[in-house]
Amino acid sequence: MRRLFVGGLSHAVTQKELKDRFGKFGDVVDVELRTRRDEEGVPYKTFGYINISITDADLKRCLTVLNKSKWKGGTLQIETAKESFLHRLAQERRAAAAAAADQDLQDAAADGGKQNLLDSLSKAGINNFTMKAAVPGTEVPGHKDWVVSKFGRVLPVLQLRCQRGNRARMLKYDPSKYSHNIRKLDRDGADRSTPVSQLTWQVEGGDDDISRKRRGEFPSYEPRRPKKSRPHGADTGKAPDRRRSDQNNSSDHFGSKQFSIRPTRTDALGDLDSDEEICRLMAAQDSSHHALQQEAEESPLEVVGQEYSVKSRRGGEEDEYDSADTDELFESRRNLSPLTNEKPKRRSQSGEEEVKADLSFKEDSGLEKKRVLPVLQPSDEEEEEEEEEEESAGSSSDSEYEAMFSNVTRLELSLEDLQRLAEEDSEAGGGSEGDSSLAPGPAERPLKGTSPEEILAAILEESDDDRPRKRKRRKGVSLPPLPAFQGTRSLQEADDQLRREEEEGGGDEREGRITEGERAAALSPQESSSSSEEEEEERTTEEPAAEALPPSQIFSVEAAPPPPRRKLNPEEEEELQRKANLRRLSAVQQRQREAEEQKKLIQGALVNLDAPPPKAGKRIVFNSDDDEDDEEEDQSSNIQSVEEATGSRAAANQRAAKDKLSGPQLFDSSEDEDGAEEEENRFDLRPQFEGQAGQKLMALQHRFGTDERFRMDERFLEEEEEEPDEEAKSSLAVEDEALEEEKKKSLSILQNLLGSSKHPSSKTPLKAAKFRDVSTLHYDPSKQEHAAFETKTIPTTESKAARRKKREEAQKLPEVSSDIFYEVSSDLKAVFGQTKEELPEEDENTWDQVEEEEDGGEEEEPPDHPPTTKEESSGFKFSFFEVDGETSSRETTEYKVENIQAPKVSWHQDPRFHDSSSEEEQESQSSEAKAEEPPSTVDLFFFYSGDSRLKDGPTSFCRSGQLEEQREDWEERRTMLRREVRKKHKDARRKLRAAPKS
Amino acid sequence: MRPLTDEETKAMFEKLSKYIGENIKLLVDRPDGTYCFRLHHDRVYYMSEKILKLATNFSRDKLISVGTCFGKFTKTQKFRLHITALDFLAPYAKFKVWVKPGAEQSFLYGNHVLKSGLGRITENTMQYQGVVVYSMADVPLGFGVAAKTTQECRRVDPLSIVVFHQADVGEFIRNEDTLT
Repeated sequence: MRRLFVGGLSHAVTQKELKDRFGKFGDVVDVELRTRRDEEGVPYKTFGYINISITDADLKRCLTVLNKSKWKGGTLQIETAKESFLHRLAQERRAAAAAAADQDLQDAAADGGKQNLLDSLSKAGINNFTMKAAVPGTEVPGHKDWVVSKFGRVLPVLQLRCQRGNRARMLKYDPSKYSHNIRKLDRDGADRSTPVSQLTWQVEGGDDDISRKRRGEFPSYEPRRPKKSRPHGADTGKAPDRRRSDQNNSSDHFGSKQFSIRPTRTDALGDLDSDEEICRLMAAQDSSHHALQQEAEESPLEVVGQEYSVKSRRGGEEDEYDSADTDELFESRRNLSPLTNEKPKRRSQSGEEEVKADLSFKEDSGLEKKRVLPVLQPSDEEEEEEEEEEESAGSSSDSEYEAMFSNVTRLELSLEDLQRLAEEDSEAGGGSEGDSSLAPGPAERPLKGTSPEEILAAILEESDDDRPRKRKRRKGVSLPPLPAFQGTRSLQEADDQLRREEEEGGGDEREGRITEGERAAALSPQESSSSSEEEEEERTTEEPAAEALPPSQIFSVEAAPPPPRRKLNPEEEEELQRKANLRRLSAVQQRQREAEEQKKLIQGALVNLDAPPPKAGKRIVFNSDDDEDDEEEDQSSNIQSVEEATGSRAAANQRAAKDKLSGPQLFDSSEDEDGAEEEENRFDLRPQFEGQAGQKLMALQHRFGTDERFRMDERFLEEEEEEPDEEAKSSLAVEDEALEEEKKKSLSILQNLLGSSKHPSSKTPLKAAKFRDVSTLHYDPSKQEHAAFETKTIPTTESKAARRKKREEAQKLPEVSSDIFYEVSSDLKAVFGQTKEELPEEDENTWDQVEEEEDGGEEEEPPDHPPTTKEESSGFKFSFFEVDGETSSRETTEYKVENIQAPKVSWHQDPRFHDSSSEEEQESQSSEAKAEEPPSTVDLFFFYSGDSRLKDGPTSFCRSGQLEEQREDWEERRTMLRREVRKKHKDARRKLRAAPKS
Repeated sequence: MRPLTDEETKAMFEKLSKYIGENIKLLVDRPDGTYCFRLHHDRVYYMSEKILKLATNFSRDKLISVGTCFGKFTKTQKFRLHITALDFLAPYAKFKVWVKPGAEQSFLYGNHVLKSGLGRITENTMQYQGVVVYSMADVPLGFGVAAKTTQECRRVDPLSIVVFHQADVGEFIRNEDTLT
């Protein structure tokens, strides 16, 4: 059977024709024609499959004859084809069925006997080879060879043929005889044999990592991808380390460290030639590696909570962006800083000594300055250049130093310290001077210059030629041409500088202070350059002054500013600050006294030298940089005006002004004493210049300069304040409203967008953002909000209810008591009378009880029924005689009226009942009664020591009179009572009868 | 320059809220002054009221940029965030992604963040949640959209994308001319 493919047929060929054509070569079983058509249904290809029973020879012949022959307009193409799928499927199924049938047959053949046996056995009542309740050894009925064994198991009797030698012998094995050898392995009977493959037991667990590992399933080992982006460094020393950590799939930090380290190293190798630097870097690298390997063991992906806060890194000048190297530098620098602190100190001493020399010269210099200055005014350019160069270097590096030392603790050095240091390190001075001949680098390399050595190293490489240029530029901008530089004049120079700065009125206090310090420092040491000193100066800004100026001035620099500051914003002043200021003020005064003494000394020394007036010199000095004061001729007036200007100007100047104040005092010996006092007053803040309006006023006055005629008062303030404000307000209000509107709208949109967000107020986020350190909070009585801290001592000891009760009592006592007193006393008169007859000693007792009863009556009574008090009091009395519940039926007045008589009948019961009633009262209304009771009863609640009732109580139980008398009395009373009761009974009956009728 | 219409405001807030959620109100309602959004040349600018007043002195065609550009409206009126808004959005970001230093550069060149470059991620980040991308040194690098949740990020293979790139600070250089 072959299947042939016949292609290239014409469309008109039918199956019959195909069959006929191939019929010659063999028996055509099946013909299948296929026609391919295009979209329009036009056939373009026809082919067929023929199942044919053909021999190989015939097939060959067929192929040779018919292949590529033309037939009905088509070229036949005949190939043997694969068997038809359906055919093949059918065949397979058939084969499978046959196989199955075969199997079945075999099975059936094998099972036949067994089945028969089973059938027959089951007939005999045997199920699954077990016979229930059969004695072992019994033969199965109908089956000769089957015996019941232990556990009802049916077993065959075996005939074993045993061949020993040439003789065979049959052994009969009867299982019933060995039945006791059988042991039941599985008592349950269920066959639970486990296949070998499942002999290992399984641990149940979740799908998580740990339980999977417990089960022994480890995640497939995944070789780490080498990082593509990482350029490979050349440092072979660390290569193995790095590779290892690579394999550990380093965490993020690892990458960053690796990255950052390399540039640092190259930097270190390139720029920083010191060995220790490199060593330190290496150590840091190593440590980072260790840290990394630890980290690598943790999960590579870090997941952080929502509240993970990004640490802000935008503090200093150094950009720490992404670079662990700068981090490391920071770290190392922090470690180094204690060391580096010492070096500048040591260096500074070289200059320091000169400063001391200056100070020793001081007396002369005060004089010299006045003479020399005018002479040397046209200064030689070279010196100036040089000096300014140094200064520029210092000043340009100001900002970086500030940034650099922002985290270094400030070193406060006194002159004595420096002196001591100078003595100690006198030999080291030479070396440091060599160092210090270099000026600190300009601001271009702020990152490198993290320690003084580094700065120096950086500067070494710097070309010096560009600095003078820079210097000049700066000079043109900010500094007027300086007078000639002279060693002993450095002090005066510094002073001049101070004055100049005041005149310039340059706003920034701190700037002024620093430059001034620099100035002084730069000028004082002649040969040694300022670099080393400047380093130190920036750290201790006070120090330059200490170097250059006498002690009194040092102080004035640092101590003067706070008071003006305090005056500046009195609303901000705080208790603490004030105290500190007071302390400072006292210190200032002391210093001033000292300065005064010094001044006197100097004056005494200079008396004869003072004669030539320093007018010209001074004037030239001020003329050179101050144009405002052209008109002033007199030197003192010149200074005064300048000071006035500064005083009236911005408050920021005040500090400088104070410096000035103490400065000139030393040298302006021509000025008299009271002038100095005036000057002090001059710098007090004038009230009209305070506040926002004051600033305006000041600006206004500033326009007119220091002209006395245009001095501004607070009078000027009022008018101008109103108009512009209103105008601006009106115009602003419209715009603000529009913006406010817009904001509201956008917020509403936002609210819609976000769903349930509250309408925010601008204050809440501010509050939330603010952090308040409670520990630093100080109580300030002047502050409004601090009132919350005050504990209010309001005497709220009594409860409200108690107070109200008291008030009520206080109110009702007068009006009610009269009634009741009258009422009750009338009632009790009878009682009294009776008791007096029989028991005069009970007088006190009854009186006491009367009082108590009174109280009870009062308290019982509701205050809103004054007219019914009479009845009620009687009702109340009655209620104690009868049941307590009766009190509720007070309305039936008739009944009560009758009952008033009842208590009068017997005195004996009266006190007792009254007593108890009063006690009951007290129990029921505990608080009120307690308040009314005498204080002595508090201890015993009802009684007090020596209470007459305690004595009288027993007497009321004991018989007081003779038995006969009492009996008579009793009988008399009895009849009376009986009558009474009967009458009552009758009355009640009548009433009852009358009630239904009516 | 004009205030945004309601639709524009809505579109913009929707976009912003993907990154900073309800913290938008901190931008709108600032305690330190009045700030507002203004539309100018299809771009949204965020500025203080003071700057707004100053800007009114310039004619519309001469004014290039004012305040901070937060993004622009596309022609189909969708809002597209610009990297210039990063400074304002980064502090308020709800969901953050930190990229490892190796992947930083790739991100800054405008590529997506792969799992291999993912250093740290805020927990419970949903899929397609707007995130702010940080470097490991906590420097904000740009905006992204989480391609996978935090849980999925733990599982996925290292080369799959976890954060789609939206904007990065590299654009300050790459798109210098259009980034006003």
